[in-house]
Amino acid sequence: MSLPLRVCVVVFGSLVAVGPVDAGPVIGKLDLPKEVPMREASATKGFLDRVENPLAPPRPVAVTPYLVVVLEQAEGAQKGTAPGQVVWELVGESFARPVVIAPIGAEVLIKNVSKTARTLVALEDAGLVPSGPINPTGPKSFRIAEAKVYTIADKDAAHLRGTIVGVTSPYVATVDETGKFEIADVPEGNYKLRIFYKTDWLEGTTDVAVSGKGKTEVAPKVPALNAPKKK
Amino acid sequence: MFFSKIWFFLIALAATVALTIALVMPRPAERAHVENEKQRLVVACSVIDILLGDDARNRVELASAFASKVEIVSALEAASGVASIDEARMKSVRAVGESVMEEMKGKRKPDFAVLIDKRGRVVARVALDQNDFGDVAAGRPLVDDALAGYLRDDLWSHNGTLYLVTAAPVVKRETAAYAGAIILGHQVTNALAQRLVKSLDVDVGFYLGKDEVAGSKTLAVEASPLVDAVKGIAGADLSQDCLANKPIPITAGKDSYTALVARLPGEVSARQAYYTVFIKRPAALGFAGTLKVVNQSDLAPGSFPWILVGGAFLVMLAIGIALMMMESDRPLRRLTAEAVRLAKGETERLSEDAHPGKFGSIARSVNIHIDKLGREAKSAKKDMDQLLGPSPEGSLGTIDLLATALPAVRPGGSGPVSSPPPSEFKFTTAATQPGVTPAAPPARPTGRPGTPPPTTPAARAPTPPPIRVGTPTPPAMPVTPAYIPVAPSGPVTAPAPMPPPPALSLDDDILGAAPEATPAPGEQGAGTDYFEQVFDQFVTMKKSCNEPTTGLTLAKFSEKLVKNREDLMSKTGCKDVKFTVYVKDGKAALKATPVKED
Repeated sequence: MSLPLRVCVVVFGSLVAVGPVDAGPVIGKLDLPKEVPMREASATKGFLDRVENPLAPPRPVAVTPYLVVVLEQAEGAQKGTAPGQVVWELVGESFARPVVIAPIGAEVLIKNVSKTARTLVALEDAGLVPSGPINPTGPKSFRIAEAKVYTIADKDAAHLRGTIVGVTSPYVATVDETGKFEIADVPEGNYKLRIFYKTDWLEGTTDVAVSGKGKTEVAPKVPALNAPKKK
Repeated sequence: MFFSKIWFFLIALAATVALTIALVMPRPAERAHVENEKQRLVVACSVIDILLGDDARNRVELASAFASKVEIVSALEAASGVASIDEARMKSVRAVGESVMEEMKGKRKPDFAVLIDKRGRVVARVALDQNDFGDVAAGRPLVDDALAGYLRDDLWSHNGTLYLVTAAPVVKRETAAYAGAIILGHQVTNALAQRLVKSLDVDVGFYLGKDEVAGSKTLAVEASPLVDAVKGIAGADLSQDCLANKPIPITAGKDSYTALVARLPGEVSARQAYYTVFIKRPAALGFAGTLKVVNQSDLAPGSFPWILVGGAFLVMLAIGIALMMMESDRPLRRLTAEAVRLAKGETERLSEDAHPGKFGSIARSVNIHIDKLGREAKSAKKDMDQLLGPSPEGSLGTIDLLATALPAVRPGGSGPVSSPPPSEFKFTTAATQPGVTPAAPPARPTGRPGTPPPTTPAARAPTPPPIRVGTPTPPAMPVTPAYIPVAPSGPVTAPAPMPPPPALSLDDDILGAAPEATPAPGEQGAGTDYFEQVFDQFVTMKKSCNEPTTGLTLAKFSEKLVKNREDLMSKTGCKDVKFTVYVKDGKAALKATPVKED
């Protein structure tokens, strides 16, 4: 092969390997409300009501584990590909994250890293999670079929609950302790960012315009979290 | 008897009322007993709830003390800083926990402890699953609350065992920073159950579904009714279970209990955890049950109105006896006395008006029967007179014959009911001895049944004592012969049992022919001596009456007697006939009397 031909092949190959050039990450940090929500009453109660310890004030409620975001494609935007897999760890008496988000068609892989076998079921769709226990260190996977909220629970442990938010968009992300999130490979286009907290979507959306070149940063404001309203 | 009947009715009514009261009275008591039982269960259940709350408070204080130990704080603070917990760290922290638990001797030592770092990871377990570590305990409400800074209690179940658990946050005092949390667990045991009901006189059992976890008494209780009762409890406020629930009957073996269930709070509530307060059901009350439980003190004079009951009994008894005497005994005695007088002949009829009620009816009935017998006797006499001819005036004649069929009560007559005393027999015997003529015929010469009613004067005439054929004792001439009985046989048996049959008057036949009263020799056959005696008496009687005896011969006389005897025997069926010589209308007469007996 002649040199010019070799150069052409390399250039073409490079272009093919790089892929679309109009996609980029969306990086954001949620503007969390200063007022943290009140700690809810415990799901269970003994003979006595709980009392605060005399040495230190109670720790504030951690809200970020319960927050997930999604970029929903506006009209004319390009479609992306679905994320292949969402890994959700069962760490003992709880999931590593109480709320996860997954596009329709994504595989949810539950990994039991605890020492206790669990039998999980989706309360909204009994057939979503394959039947049978998830043994310690054993996985169990399933695919999200609908854009809806699924509550995964263990009937033998009322406190063990997790939420999977099924969405149509493949551009989803969880939020870290500080409220930051990152959605990779978002194609160029206009999007609306929505925030899910605990059990429902928060009111309002944030418009996000992805240029396709470089990263897109957003700072959506999170409304008060005490009383989330249904969409 | 009217008042006696009324009294009997009143007594029966009172007895019925008393029985009704006796049967009904235990029911209100039983209801009250059930209500008291329920109240007792409710109180006991509430007290146990309170005691469990107090116990939880003590355990929370214990957990707080445990969590405040410096070595615990340091161990958990150090563990919270590492990315992963290794076995060496676990063992060091567990040793710390064990040493702290050892310090709790004398207090209520927990059965297990769990030490958790501030990330929610289990750093170490003491006394229970103590080789397990590193798993995340966060997520359980108790742990979450403790990690958030709260003290609280809960109830967990683990491997079929019920634990009272408490949690406390571990806080570093200097910085007021959270280092983790500790969990203490106390197993629900039989000892705990016994301690809870020590002063309540009830029993308690703790259950997980149908499984009994612990109890103050070892009982094989049928748990299905308890589970059903738990399922039937409405309302989320568990503290109201003791007040809102109703006691239910349960069985344990052959024993019956009344139980009250109350849900246990905490995580175990999702597993149908509850406790049951129960007491043994007393034997069924009711009348029999009440009687069974009556003891001696209930019947003591101080607690039972013996005087009132005894007095009432005596009053009722006295009234009853008085009414019986007044309405029954005395009238009966009067009737009896009058009946005796009637039997003795002191009276001819019973006094109907002197006897009240039924006794008067008896008297009337007797009188009616007396009258009936009198009429029948009179009629019978007529018939016999038609058959045999009129009986002699003043003699019993045919009446004596009829008397054999008459009842003991002499109808209308004055004869005695009972047999005459021996003296009368003697008299009768004497009077009937041949040759002895009684001055007057005795009123009741034979002691046989009486004569017909008083309406028949002739019937009241005494019957001459008979002379039996076969003792042909020649009769002596009577001094004042009213009549001379001639017996066909020997010694007179005084109270001669019923010489029965009607008399046959042969006066006309015998006198009509009036042959010379000379017996023809050789004409005497069988009984010729007797006929001769009768003939002699008859001739003597005729002479004494200044009657002619011309043409009266023994042969003719005997022939007549034989003929008449045969006629009479054929008509009456008697075995023999006796002939009696007597005076009729100033003339000698002869009466034939059938003899039925030997």
